[in-house]
Amino acid sequence: MLLDEPYRFAEAIANRRDYIEDQLQGGSPVVGLAFADGLLVLTLRGGSQKLFEAYDRIGLGSVGHPTDIEKLRQSAVDLAHVIGFNYSDADVTLQQIVHFGLGPVMKTAFDDVIRSPYIARVLLAELGAVDTESSFFTVDYDGTFHRYEGVAAIGGVPEADALMRERILDANPGNHALGDALALALEVWGLGRWAGQQDSLPPDEDDLKAATAKADTKAVVREALETLEVEAVVLDPSQSGKTKFRHLEQAEIQSALDTIQA
Amino acid sequence: MSDGGDFFDLLKSEGYQFPGHTAVGVEGASKGLPFHPTEGTTILALRYRDGVIVAGDRRATAGNAILYDRADKVIPIDRYSVMAISGSPAMAFEIARILEHSFHYHRRRQLQEMSNEAKLRRLSLLIRDNLPMAVQGIGAVIPIYAMYDVRGDEGHIYFYDALGAQFEVTDFATTGSGAAAIRGVMYYTNRWSGTSYPELSRDDAVGLTLRLLFTAAEYDSATGRYERSTDILPTVKTITADGQADVTEDELRDLHTQFLD
Repeated sequence: MLLDEPYRFAEAIANRRDYIEDQLQGGSPVVGLAFADGLLVLTLRGGSQKLFEAYDRIGLGSVGHPTDIEKLRQSAVDLAHVIGFNYSDADVTLQQIVHFGLGPVMKTAFDDVIRSPYIARVLLAELGAVDTESSFFTVDYDGTFHRYEGVAAIGGVPEADALMRERILDANPGNHALGDALALALEVWGLGRWAGQQDSLPPDEDDLKAATAKADTKAVVREALETLEVEAVVLDPSQSGKTKFRHLEQAEIQSALDTIQA
Repeated sequence: MSDGGDFFDLLKSEGYQFPGHTAVGVEGASKGLPFHPTEGTTILALRYRDGVIVAGDRRATAGNAILYDRADKVIPIDRYSVMAISGSPAMAFEIARILEHSFHYHRRRQLQEMSNEAKLRRLSLLIRDNLPMAVQGIGAVIPIYAMYDVRGDEGHIYFYDALGAQFEVTDFATTGSGAAAIRGVMYYTNRWSGTSYPELSRDDAVGLTLRLLFTAAEYDSATGRYERSTDILPTVKTITADGQADVTEDELRDLHTQFLD
């Protein structure tokens, strides 16, 4: 069998990577950022919902195969509620969900070469409480996870993540009002989409910078909006009750859409 | 992992055991030794103009002893539902905790709000599951469940027996040891006082609620009475189209002065 032959195992894993990257390439990026009134997560979607509530202060978005996303989302919701019930709401943290839930689950599926892996990248957002910071986590299809403060993004190609993150950091949206934060997120989504549409991206950092500077990201968004629609959620600390997660209404998104059309 | 999207099933698959399932005979109880479980006392709910009021006194007793005078027996479950408990607080709080998580879990996992009918059914099943505790006389939970139905734009009040049978009442319900003292009063005032409960203003309904709890405490030693010296006010919550809310302590003091002095 495969596992008896180390070379074939390494080859099988490499083949899986190629296969999964290929599947993910055209995916709609997910952008997360902290702004003046909480956390914003934005994506563009076709028909079905792409951003989800995992717990009182935790939201989740993903790039990938819808059924795989669904399985991962459900396991995150399950774990969060079991912890919340057995311990307390304050014990439900992204660290718990990613380190003990999604990370190992995705790694195990990826390494098991006779089973199908999860074709998905996941972005999670956690609104901080009195004594905890807001944070984002990303988890890749092979179980690799990263924690970020303030900004996180996932796209169809690995290079897109860093490109989008840098673009947001340059804009320094910490004090942005909702409308400005949405407009920024939307344009950054366009950058991630653009990266996924290129046949290949320049390996050299300066060349890549020059190429992205020339990209018309607004045009990319405008084109996408012909078939897709914006989905955005906020984790809003001022919302009454324990649940801080809320989908934005079309009217709230409209002003940001206008800036893209302009 | 459970695939059915039911939180109670998920808990059980994770090794959780509902105390009601596994209760074994408590030695003291069967031999007539003085084992006195903690119990809560008078709770009531009534419909008024804007929705439903749910209230309870604050006393928890164990036999003849007053165990605690600041117990909160009116528990918010979700935005539009409140459960009030008489009987064993330990089991009642466990049930409330399971319900609260079940409703949120359902919304998040199934991507739709649990229907009101299903919420009532979940509570009914938990009470039935608690039957072994109830028949041993150590853990009966007899709640009143009140909700505001946003679709139908009106409040509803339900009470349960120890087997989980669910009864909807039209205007009011009361359970607990002090209920006997006020059940007839509620029937009488609702029918013949000139204003039926569903026509009462918020102030009048809260004032009446304070009078009823005071009356219950007059005839039932296990129901706590409001005293100015200790200033332990009963818990009074409203559920309306805007969701559930506390009647604040300041309001309760004012209404106490207005209606009871």
